Amino acid sequence: MNRNFSFDCIGYALFALLLLVVVPWGLGFDGFELNTFARYLTLGMVAMALALSWGCAGILNLGQAATFGLGAYIMAMHLKLKASVNMPDGMPDFMGWTNVESLPWFWEPFHSLPVTIAAGLLVPAAVAAVMGIFMFRGRITGVFVAIITLAFLVAIQLVFVEEQRYTGGENGLTGLAPLELFGWTADNYSLSFYYFVAGCLICALVLALALVRSKVGLVLRAIKENPDRVRFFGYDVARYETLAFCASAAIAGWAGMLYVLVLEFASPTYMGVPFSLAIVIWCAVGGRDSLVAAALGGIIVNMLEGRLSDLFVDGWTLFLGMLFILVVLVMPRGLFGVFHGALARVIAFYRQARLERRESLAISRSVVSGTHDKGGR
Amino acid sequence: MDVFFNQAFAGLSMASILLMVALGLAIIYGAMGVINLAHGEFVMLGAYSAWLLQSYLGLGILASLPLIFLMVGLIGLAVERGVVRWLYHRPLDTILATWGIGIVLQQLVRMGVGSDSRYVARPTILDGNVAIGGVVMSNYRIFLVFFSLSVLAATWYLLTRTEFGTKLRAVIQNKEISECYGIRTDRIYALAFAYGAGLAGIAGALVTPLVSVTPGMGTYLVVDAFLVVIVGGVGSLLGTAVASGLVGEATALFSFLMNDTLGRVAVLLAIIMLIRFKPQGLFPDKVRR
Repeated sequence: MNRNFSFDCIGYALFALLLLVVVPWGLGFDGFELNTFARYLTLGMVAMALALSWGCAGILNLGQAATFGLGAYIMAMHLKLKASVNMPDGMPDFMGWTNVESLPWFWEPFHSLPVTIAAGLLVPAAVAAVMGIFMFRGRITGVFVAIITLAFLVAIQLVFVEEQRYTGGENGLTGLAPLELFGWTADNYSLSFYYFVAGCLICALVLALALVRSKVGLVLRAIKENPDRVRFFGYDVARYETLAFCASAAIAGWAGMLYVLVLEFASPTYMGVPFSLAIVIWCAVGGRDSLVAAALGGIIVNMLEGRLSDLFVDGWTLFLGMLFILVVLVMPRGLFGVFHGALARVIAFYRQARLERRESLAISRSVVSGTHDKGGR
Repeated sequence: MDVFFNQAFAGLSMASILLMVALGLAIIYGAMGVINLAHGEFVMLGAYSAWLLQSYLGLGILASLPLIFLMVGLIGLAVERGVVRWLYHRPLDTILATWGIGIVLQQLVRMGVGSDSRYVARPTILDGNVAIGGVVMSNYRIFLVFFSLSVLAATWYLLTRTEFGTKLRAVIQNKEISECYGIRTDRIYALAFAYGAGLAGIAGALVTPLVSVTPGMGTYLVVDAFLVVIVGGVGSLLGTAVASGLVGEATALFSFLMNDTLGRVAVLLAIIMLIRFKPQGLFPDKVRR
């Protein structure tokens, strides 16, 4: 167990403590307050998902909102169907308004909860797999990955807005039923719901950490530094990159599902360019090199946004933009970079001090023993 | 058949707007490798300047173009000196920083002018239509096509026939060597950025009669324009021109065959394919770097 790993463990433990004890205690175990905080947690989760592909493997995905939105819509479809059981044919209301005759085939499977949850993870991952194989087999890197994912995001959002008959168009999916999981009904203004979301985030973090700390993670970090050398060693770079991309997409889909549970609606703005770039902002503010830091970045920026938009109704966007410019200019590695630098300095300082003390001890001991020797003679 | 030609003309008109937006972006990206996501906001600022000059000073769009070019160019200069110049060695970070600048500019406009959409009148001399057979073309759109071509020609002249252009091309090819020859590269970069911003301002002013002016109007325009630049090939003016023509016409054609949204989706997917198989673009820069 090297020092980095033990630091990681300490960081994760502190983060879990923060989510599970400090925050609920600070907010007085109040379900309403905790609901807003649960929203921040889901956004932190998607920022963490981006850190997995951007920070770990160096794939800047500007279309992270696409997979997030897919997860959100999948969960919303299940809840919408549950809310529509009393409608004719169990069809969602907006389909009636747009003259859809019967429930479309791709809505059918979402009657079942296990299928929904599996789909919420696997559909985004499958989309990412197709995109990943498509891009990385062609050795597309850097800016071009960013542009392709951005174009893909715009395309997928256009489709969701256009197909109003099946997706609710601009309005999205509203009027959802609460989720029922193993007989537990998710009331999104309850303490238990907050713990459910926090538990999901911690789970996702641990899974992602397991990936990063495995051999796969090591290869990914090597790819980030120099893909050609890794290729010369005989690794299939595209496969590793695709894997990271898929894992990131699955976590983003997971976060999307939770987001729908928190807000009780799904909207095409979840797949918008502004939202997608906001995810990149959160990740960069927190520090893309660490999963926990990225998650914290998402939580902190959104918390600031919540507080500041209460204080100055629309001045906060201005503040957010400036904060972001400053972060990119002054601390390119984000808060984590600052923290890491400070920590490294402290450790170096103590090591130096210990070394000096040991040296001075050794000197004084030799002096003492020298005098003793003299006295003996 | 008339429907087809009408659609082709609509595509041409869209291409002319794209060309003007993309030209500035192409220069900024080609010269400095900076992905300027604030470019859409420069377009928006140009549009608001046109509205401002028209509603407070009574200037028409055409008369205010030079002024708008200068105003937005100066803002571009400020942005370059203040933020972008620190990021030349970190190209991916420019995406993030310029997006932040975009947010700030958008919000400043929203707070200063309000977020209602504004309208700017078309120049009266360009009212009316030309009809050839069943094809009806508005004079203003015809003007836009020719104007964008003349902007292209002017940019080409600037880059190849002036001292500034020669220096800029030298800096693009090799920054260090150009510095050895006494070219002040930071000044060249700043001017190139300002010129690109100014072009975006002009484009914004000229689209005002066709679209409503809102603080968020630039966001999607910049995505399209950037795709045009990549498709055309970095550092190639001709490529940018051809690509904007292609994207404009393809959007019009696909919209005609399917519908507007699916047409756009089809074009986006086609562009993704193109970038995947030809990341250097249609007209790759053949200069050795």
